[in-house]
Amino acid sequence: MFHWLEKHPFFFAVGVFVVIAFAGLIEIVPNFAQASRPVIGTKPVTLLEQAGRDVYIKNSCNACHSQLIRPFKAETDRYGHYSLSGEYAYDRPFLWGSKRTGPDLMRVGNYRTTEWHENHMKDPKSVMPSSIMPGYPWMFKNSADIDTAYATQLTNAQFFGVPYNKPVPMKDGSTAVVKMADSVAGAHAMALAEAKEITSKMKDQNVKDAVARGEIPEIVALIAYLNSMK
Amino acid sequence: MNKLYLWGIIITAAMLGATYVTVGYQKGGLNGDIVNMLAIAGAVALVIITMFVVIKYVRQMQTDQASGELADESWDNIGEYKNPVPFGWAIMFIGTMIWGMWYFTIGYPVNAFSQIGQYNEEVKEKDAEFEKKYANIKGEQLVNMGESVYLVECVACHGLNADGNNEVDAADLNQRISEKSIKYVINHGSNNKLLGTEMPMPDRNGLFNAETGALITDKEIDAVAKYVADGLKDANSAGAKVFANVCAACHGPDGKGMAYVAPDIATWNKQLVINVLDNGKKGVIGKMPAMDRLNPKQKEAIAAYVMSLSKGE
Ligand code: HEC
Ligand code: HEC
Ligand code: HEC
Repeated sequence: MFHWLEKHPFFFAVGVFVVIAFAGLIEIVPNFAQASRPVIGTKPVTLLEQAGRDVYIKNSCNACHSQLIRPFKAETDRYGHYSLSGEYAYDRPFLWGSKRTGPDLMRVGNYRTTEWHENHMKDPKSVMPSSIMPGYPWMFKNSADIDTAYATQLTNAQFFGVPYNKPVPMKDGSTAVVKMADSVAGAHAMALAEAKEITSKMKDQNVKDAVARGEIPEIVALIAYLNSMK
Repeated sequence: MNKLYLWGIIITAAMLGATYVTVGYQKGGLNGDIVNMLAIAGAVALVIITMFVVIKYVRQMQTDQASGELADESWDNIGEYKNPVPFGWAIMFIGTMIWGMWYFTIGYPVNAFSQIGQYNEEVKEKDAEFEKKYANIKGEQLVNMGESVYLVECVACHGLNADGNNEVDAADLNQRISEKSIKYVINHGSNNKLLGTEMPMPDRNGLFNAETGALITDKEIDAVAKYVADGLKDANSAGAKVFANVCAACHGPDGKGMAYVAPDIATWNKQLVINVLDNGKKGVIGKMPAMDRLNPKQKEAIAAYVMSLSKGE
């Protein structure tokens, strides 16, 4: 048998590959599957947060901001607990980023608020005089794309098994259910209800009026997303 | 002299020449620097030794005759001599195996490393260092530490002048509390765990004037807000009278608060600042998030810093 292999270098190479790949497979895959299971307390994003996530991607916030806290004391002191792979279980795509022109945003929801984001996103220099982050005034006018966010949610739920409408375990032992609408109209109503809660803490009259009319400016969705990052 | 030596001399000379030119014509040259000179000496030695070794082996390849006893096996007519392994190599080979076993089992066990383990060690070490260095600092040192923590954690909202960008983004920390905040508290009550536990202050529908026996009025609110914001100084003002009749029962006649009843609203104190950091705060300006991941010493330092800001008032 080995004689045969020696005479057929191609199949010999295939055989070597299979043996080594198998060793890799049993070493790497189970570990990886274990580590990427959702961490207790990780929830899927709600509809409005998903729309905000799309705004985040659309404006390339990830070009300047990472979402990955490394296990170094200097980082955990500043941003909070280091990131665990299971915390990204529902991120599609993940937004780790590779450059920090601005600070990490993985847990920004813990130490920044709706009111602050409103001032900061409109004109970063008004809060941080030396900031080099650009302002995003158009987000206060453009509407968020709720249809796409809803489609993303549906895809995530149906093809990737993201647990919408199902209980997910929380850190305190309770369970939480993130609801997903069952129709486009229902989705809009749901997003609007979420948006109203955010705008009740905002100052910008145009944004408040828009939400009262049933529109959802991008900034509201973005803030919902930023607040959810904990 | 045969061709081989000639080539050796030519190449050596060329390389030494190149070294001389590159170094000599560079700005500053050797610069009289001992390290540079050592490096050049090393380079010269390297060129010469390399040439000797190369010549030796090329000569050997040219002239060597194979000799010795052939092994029985032959692979595609390629034979092998039965020469013993050179002694030095054998020793090194066995030595490497022993070292390898030591390395994998004792020196650096395969399972001994984890990123998180390394992180935990780092944290422990740094915390111990912090503890040792800062456990007993006080006074100005404490204020300085508070300021440096402030500049990292709080400046985004409270601003470089600690005035909260004119109270647009956060509270002005150069004073105990602003007039607009006081009015808001009287109108809406307050439930921010300022005493460390749940101990709300009633809103205006629960604040009675002991003198008139009626609920506090708009005019009285304006007066008392001004009086408190000014630091409860003007004892003859209308506000002082309202304060004595409405607020003093809880906040004390001097506004310094009473344990378990109401907080100090005349000045900042350490515990008050720490309670704000631990529980966050909601008010007329907005919401301050809890900043409870600071360590106790840092919180104490921040309290000292906040107190130092409003000292002048
Ligand atoms: C050109 C690079 C750049 C881009 C693009 C950018 N930022 Fe920033 N961001 C910064 C810098 C620099 C800071 C730090 C100064 C400041 O707070 O403004 C910052 C700060 C922040 C903070 C405060 C974080 C903290 O810990 O204080 C948030 C939140 C934030 N950015 C959100 C966003 C969002 C959302 C987007 C996309 C819409 C975005 N940024 C795009 C550079 C950028
Ligand atoms: C029934 C007792 C009581 C009375 C009367 C009372 N307070 Fe208070 N006050 C409290 C308590 C308790 C708190 C702390 C509430 C909390 O934890 O948020 C407080 C908090 C406050 C604060 C908020 C301090 C801060 O840092 O945010 C202000 C300002 C204040 N009181 C002003 C007044 C004034 C002015 C009056 C009189 C018009 C008054 N209070 C009457 C009990 C009282
Ligand atoms: C996300 C923004 C934000 C950050 C970060 C922040 N604060 Fe605040 N802080 C606020 C806001 C907003 C208020 C005012 C709440 C209100 O309306 O009464 C406030 C109020 C306070 C108060 C109470 C003032 C009063 O008059 O009762 C103190 C003390 C304080 N902050 C200290 C700090 C310190 C120290 C830090 C840093 C460790 C910090 N804050 C970080 C937003 C922030």
